[in-house]
Amino acid sequence: MPQSREALQEKRKNLSSWLLSLPTMIWLVCFFLVPYLIVVFYSFLTPDIYDVKFEVSLDAYRQIFTSGYLQPFFLSFKLAIYTVLICLLLGFPVAYYMARASEKLKNTLLILIIIPFWTNLIIRIFSWRIFLSYSGVLNEALMGLGLISQPLEIMRTNLAVILVMVYVYLPYMILPLYSVLEKLDFTLLNAAMDLGANEVKAFFRVTLPLAVEGIFAGTLLVFIPALGAYLIPQLVGNQRSLYVGQVITYKVKNIPRNWPMASALSLTLLLMVAILLLIMYAIYRRHLARRHY
Amino acid sequence: MEDIILQNISKDFGTFRAVDEVNLTIKSGELFSFLGPSGCGKTTLLRMIAGFETPSEGSIYLGNKDISDLPPYKREVNTIFQNYSLFPHMTLFDNVAFGLKVKKRPKTEIKDRVQEMLKLVKMEDQAAKYPDQISGGQKQRIAIARALINKPRVLLLDEPLAALDLKLRQHMLIELMDIHDAVGITFIYVTHDQGEAMSISDRLAVMNQGKVVQEGPPDDIYERPSSIFSAYFIGETNLITGDVHKVYDDYLELHCPDGTGNILALDSSFHKPVAEQSRITLSLRPEKIAISRHKPRHQDDINIIKGQIEDILYLGSHTQYIVRVGNLKFRVFSQHKRVYFDDKALDWEEDVWLFWHDTDTWLIEDNPFEVLADAELDDSGNLKRYVKRSKI
Amino acid sequence: MKLSRVNLFKGLNLTVFSLVIVFLYIPILILIVFSFNDSRIISGWQGFTLKYYTQLFNNPTIKEAFRNTMLIAGLSTLISTTLGIMTALGLENKRFKARKGLLALIYTPLVIPDILMGVSLALLFNFTRVNTGMVTVLIAHVTFCISYTVIVIQSRLEGFDHSLVEAAADLGAKPHYIFWRIKFPLMLPGIIAAALLAFTLSIDDFIITFFTSGRGFDTLPIYVEGTIRRGTITTINALSTLMIGFTLFLVVVTKRIRKILISAL
Repeated sequence: MPQSREALQEKRKNLSSWLLSLPTMIWLVCFFLVPYLIVVFYSFLTPDIYDVKFEVSLDAYRQIFTSGYLQPFFLSFKLAIYTVLICLLLGFPVAYYMARASEKLKNTLLILIIIPFWTNLIIRIFSWRIFLSYSGVLNEALMGLGLISQPLEIMRTNLAVILVMVYVYLPYMILPLYSVLEKLDFTLLNAAMDLGANEVKAFFRVTLPLAVEGIFAGTLLVFIPALGAYLIPQLVGNQRSLYVGQVITYKVKNIPRNWPMASALSLTLLLMVAILLLIMYAIYRRHLARRHY
Repeated sequence: MEDIILQNISKDFGTFRAVDEVNLTIKSGELFSFLGPSGCGKTTLLRMIAGFETPSEGSIYLGNKDISDLPPYKREVNTIFQNYSLFPHMTLFDNVAFGLKVKKRPKTEIKDRVQEMLKLVKMEDQAAKYPDQISGGQKQRIAIARALINKPRVLLLDEPLAALDLKLRQHMLIELMDIHDAVGITFIYVTHDQGEAMSISDRLAVMNQGKVVQEGPPDDIYERPSSIFSAYFIGETNLITGDVHKVYDDYLELHCPDGTGNILALDSSFHKPVAEQSRITLSLRPEKIAISRHKPRHQDDINIIKGQIEDILYLGSHTQYIVRVGNLKFRVFSQHKRVYFDDKALDWEEDVWLFWHDTDTWLIEDNPFEVLADAELDDSGNLKRYVKRSKI
Repeated sequence: MKLSRVNLFKGLNLTVFSLVIVFLYIPILILIVFSFNDSRIISGWQGFTLKYYTQLFNNPTIKEAFRNTMLIAGLSTLISTTLGIMTALGLENKRFKARKGLLALIYTPLVIPDILMGVSLALLFNFTRVNTGMVTVLIAHVTFCISYTVIVIQSRLEGFDHSLVEAAADLGAKPHYIFWRIKFPLMLPGIIAAALLAFTLSIDDFIITFFTSGRGFDTLPIYVEGTIRRGTITTINALSTLMIGFTLFLVVVTKRIRKILISAL
């Protein structure tokens, strides 16, 4: 009898939680989960020029593995890896510098990094088009300085894609790294050096392990969007080697439409992302188990 | 004015029993404390009285009204929280006025009563400030004003002095007592600090592992601890466990377990009847033992034993000694009432005599965690003696 | 915390930092400069002009795109923030039976590339024969904003001092009163942060809007992308500069709002 007093309170709390989260639940189920079910459904259908025919077919999947549709996946994967690595290489020193700055400086530095981060993606890509184009500023400057005699053809290459990707995603790597490094106890470095470690050793044995979580977060925030990139390859890449995002978009937007193919490609991309997440999760779990703090 | 009655209260969190069958009556107007180590259940008990937890078993009465199922906003009980929990987005005035604003009292009434309360806690000119602009001690006073303005029947205080530093704590302790006297309602105080509990309370309950181990006025608990837990938790003591040698009409003789064959005497009014050869434990407070390098004259009611000083802690007003007697160690507090300049202070490894009255010890329960069953009350309801017969 | 005097590789870090700042800002600065350049081709400074800006304000397509963007951003912020508040409150109860499932539902969109959300929604609207336009774009925006608003508000809620709720109840306030007078005011900084985040995400989004807008309903990003693709870039520089200015404005406003709120509490 008295037991039910607490049970009743529990039930009431549970009920109010349900009522509060129900709208969001329904929304996400309808507009997030269900669409993916439709994607799965469509991937087994036959394409039509403007729409889709409700006839079952495995053509889409077959084509992925036979007609060279794997190429974009490799390309996107390579792009993602390059982008993450370069962002890490550049981002870590930046985040470190920011984390070690004085309190006043920190705020200014943070704003400096955030402003480009908040600027519209398309504008940032566009600014690079101006900068890199054949008759653009970079070439003008380099020619003017006499460093080159012929304009560089950087636009419309894979190099340009990587460059702009790094440009766009660098803040996504810097910010998580900064937030982790900022909380680091730098007196630990003193202790390490007191115990005989030189600068390099101290970095690899003290700073890096403690920053691992920031690296994880940053990698995740860069790698996954990079896999699905459309806009950057589309606007600055060469149109002969296509990335996954572009292929999927063409299948949806261009005539003739091929939604089953787009669906199948999307699911494959989803699979790649899922596998990556599982791997990262496993590594993270191992990291958590190993550390004792 | 009503009493608070806790009837067979228990509280479980899953399989963990935080409060175990507590039965207590707190008299109206008294300042009652729950004292115990962290995790003993005292805060849970307080929260049940306030209404933030519901008892798994048992009932709580305010007078003859069963308040066990009432939500906190329907009880005439107010709480002072450990971190004061002042509303950070409101001025001190609005904080204090909160209870009245909720009841939609008229503005003029609110203004007057808030002023009155602020005066009581000596914060009249700070009404427009915000909580982050005042010190800990001031926050506590505002918390008190905020609670008392609602004229509750009972005020609950959850370790109110824990967040303050020592000097401030001592000062606020006295202020709390003054406020209690001025307002006259029941205060229920929760703390782990025995000094606080002893100095402030009319009565207190020592708790451990969810149970009330001992209940009574401070001096009762100090001089007549019912269990090893009570004896140790409050102040310091020497526990002497030995076999009863002989039982006489007005005293008994105990084999001192020091291995030297000493016989100790205990006056009969300080223990219940025990059988010969049974094992008993005595509690002897260190301040009751006299220490000297000269053997005192023999007296019938004085226990005298010899030992060697092992440790000395000079504290100015008194010195604490650890004296080895056989295979026992005795703790002795010696107050420096008179100091003669040519007195040579007692030194390490010196042979000394320890002596005390046979009325200075108290026989206690040898199982420290059992709740007392045989409580003897005197006419005013205070626990008189609470000795459980020990089994052979 | 005393900073140790050891700052590993300080020189190296500073160099990289400066290079990165240059890297991040030069293209933008060039963009701004050229928005005032009286020249049809990109290279060479031909004189200061504001003609692109005036062209901008006389362009009805851009104005409509701007209106659409603001409309969608405003509505989706409103809806997603409200849903975010409700959900964060619902998630407070740690013993809520559906908690794990709900959290999974909320976190998952964050780890999936947006293009997939765009495609899936496009297919949904096709399957249900719903015409793409303002409503579908709104639905899409709310969908991707919810995860962010919930997380922002929820993380603020975690630091919430629950003893304040108990203190209010102790003083006689009923749950309804407690929520509006105690909880909500203290949640406000988090709510505003969430709203700002949702707003920025919404006005910036391209790919999801691209898949769910169809013809006839353009937002600013869609319009800009189309223009860039087609190569008619005269007014884009000016537009971009204005948008950068707007970003700066937002950053300043956010800092100001935060300062005001902190001092108010």
